[in-house]
Amino acid sequence: MVSTWASAAATAVEDRLLRALTPLRVILLINAVALNVYRADSFQRPLAGTVCVVAMIAWTGYAAWAYADARRRTRWLLGADLGLALTLLLSTPLVKGSGFNATVPGFWIAGALLAWAVHYRLPGGLFAGVLLASVDLVLRDHIQQSDYNNAFLLVITGSVVGFMCGSLQQMATERDAAERAAAMATERARLARAVHDGVLQVLALMQRHGAEHEGVIAELGDLAGEQEQRLRALIRAEDASGVRPAGSVDIVAALTRLERPGIVTVAVPAFAVDLPAPVAEELLAAARACLDNVRHHVGEDAPAWLLLEAFPDRVELSVRDQGPGIPEGRLDEAASQGRLGVSEAIRGRLDQVGGTASLTSDSLGTEWQLVVPREQDRTLRQEAS
Amino acid sequence: MSLRVMVIDDHPMWSEAVERDLAQAGYDVVAVAADGRQALARFAATLPDVVVLDLQIPAPDGVAVTAEITRQRPATRVLVLSASGEQGDVLAAVTAGATGYLVKSASREELLAAVRRVADGVPVFTPGLAGLLLGEFQRRSDAAGATSIGRPGEPQLTERETEVLRMVAKGMSYRQIAERLVLSHRTVQNHVQNVLRKLQMHNRVELTRYVIERGLDEV
Repeated sequence: MVSTWASAAATAVEDRLLRALTPLRVILLINAVALNVYRADSFQRPLAGTVCVVAMIAWTGYAAWAYADARRRTRWLLGADLGLALTLLLSTPLVKGSGFNATVPGFWIAGALLAWAVHYRLPGGLFAGVLLASVDLVLRDHIQQSDYNNAFLLVITGSVVGFMCGSLQQMATERDAAERAAAMATERARLARAVHDGVLQVLALMQRHGAEHEGVIAELGDLAGEQEQRLRALIRAEDASGVRPAGSVDIVAALTRLERPGIVTVAVPAFAVDLPAPVAEELLAAARACLDNVRHHVGEDAPAWLLLEAFPDRVELSVRDQGPGIPEGRLDEAASQGRLGVSEAIRGRLDQVGGTASLTSDSLGTEWQLVVPREQDRTLRQEAS
Repeated sequence: MSLRVMVIDDHPMWSEAVERDLAQAGYDVVAVAADGRQALARFAATLPDVVVLDLQIPAPDGVAVTAEITRQRPATRVLVLSASGEQGDVLAAVTAGATGYLVKSASREELLAAVRRVADGVPVFTPGLAGLLLGEFQRRSDAAGATSIGRPGEPQLTERETEVLRMVAKGMSYRQIAERLVLSHRTVQNHVQNVLRKLQMHNRVELTRYVIERGLDEV
């Protein structure tokens, strides 16, 4: 874990906030100078007053330059900034006499306060706020309501800005770490893709050579074919495993895993189709039952095809084989006689999740059609209306 | 005159095997290339009838090469031969103008038959590819419905075309489909060709953008 005090992201946040502080310092300066000029007749020592105003002008210019570079933002700079603000406050009785109303720097001291809050966060903001507020109050003969209000605002502002700066830096640091992790994952995926592709090429080639030979080579070819299919299914499932809504399953990735080389072929859309986990489980179990049925009644290596289609209101899964077919009424007959085999396993599962299962059969094969309702995507529906 | 074929694959083992098979079957292998740049240069020099192409090749990739070849010479047919079968890439290649798609684990006979059919302009679909296309057209029609603007000129599949595509996705051959629907073999092929045409027509504009983005217009 990168420290949020020293990370590049934290420094960037500080840079940005301190850049924004410079124009604020200028505005505070103009305000302070204007007020001092306006109230120049209240100065008991005009020369000292002028020195104070010149010091404010000079320091504002210097601070704009000094704070711009992170390397110059040392504790000496911050210390001098706050020290000058305190000195100007303390010099007020000398310049104006003890019965003064407004301090010489006035709100100009907020520049130092905010710099402390930005650089040292909550502790810095609180410390500078309390210090400036106390000095301001201590200097006065009579503390009026507005004096207390101003002091209170100083403390609160320092703390709040300090806290917010800390939060911003933390968020920026975390975001940076997340971006780095994502970039690394992408790079890993890219490398994995290259490796996978090479392995797949070799496996496919072995399979192809195997098919032209007999004996051991043919066997190796078959094994290569199986592994190729597995690796491909794995890659597809991995590609599809993005962020899923809670409690849902991508039925496309799940069905892809049922593929068996040369035997079970799976046709699906190129995008993920999310179904609530219980619905997906039943649909998947029903599909497995259909495939088991093909193995039992048509043959161990009999080919079967799965097709998944996703509509806005439903998902349809067809499982087709090229078997001889089931005579019409045979399944219903079996079910009514209590011999609940395939019919129960498949229809029952679909019933449970509000779907339907129907069977058609002709000379070209047998086909189960499994349909489950789908909760319409809310945003899609809103856009449509 | 024998068919002029070009093989594009960055794995020498593979391109040699495919080249040998094609030559033995009497095809004229006029060029072999190992990356996208080489492929486009040699394509322009030889103008083959059929290009047998792996999608995962050094840049520009197989999808971009497909787009560029079919743009330069629509008469050349592209047969995609892919090992990884990455869904998105396959869909992109067919959308970009490929006429057929085969996984590399397909047998020698399947490959030769596929080259022959693609040369005649008959699409070679695996059930998997048909499933992808069904999904793609469904996605487009959902999107058109959702925006409610209804894009005129957006090619949609007819019911019959969808029916045929669905049957291909369920592993039925064109002959079986013809039997089931009581159509001629030729009519079924026409329906499948129309599916491809509609898919590719829609994408011409996006394709141009794709080619420019990948810097292919400067090749």
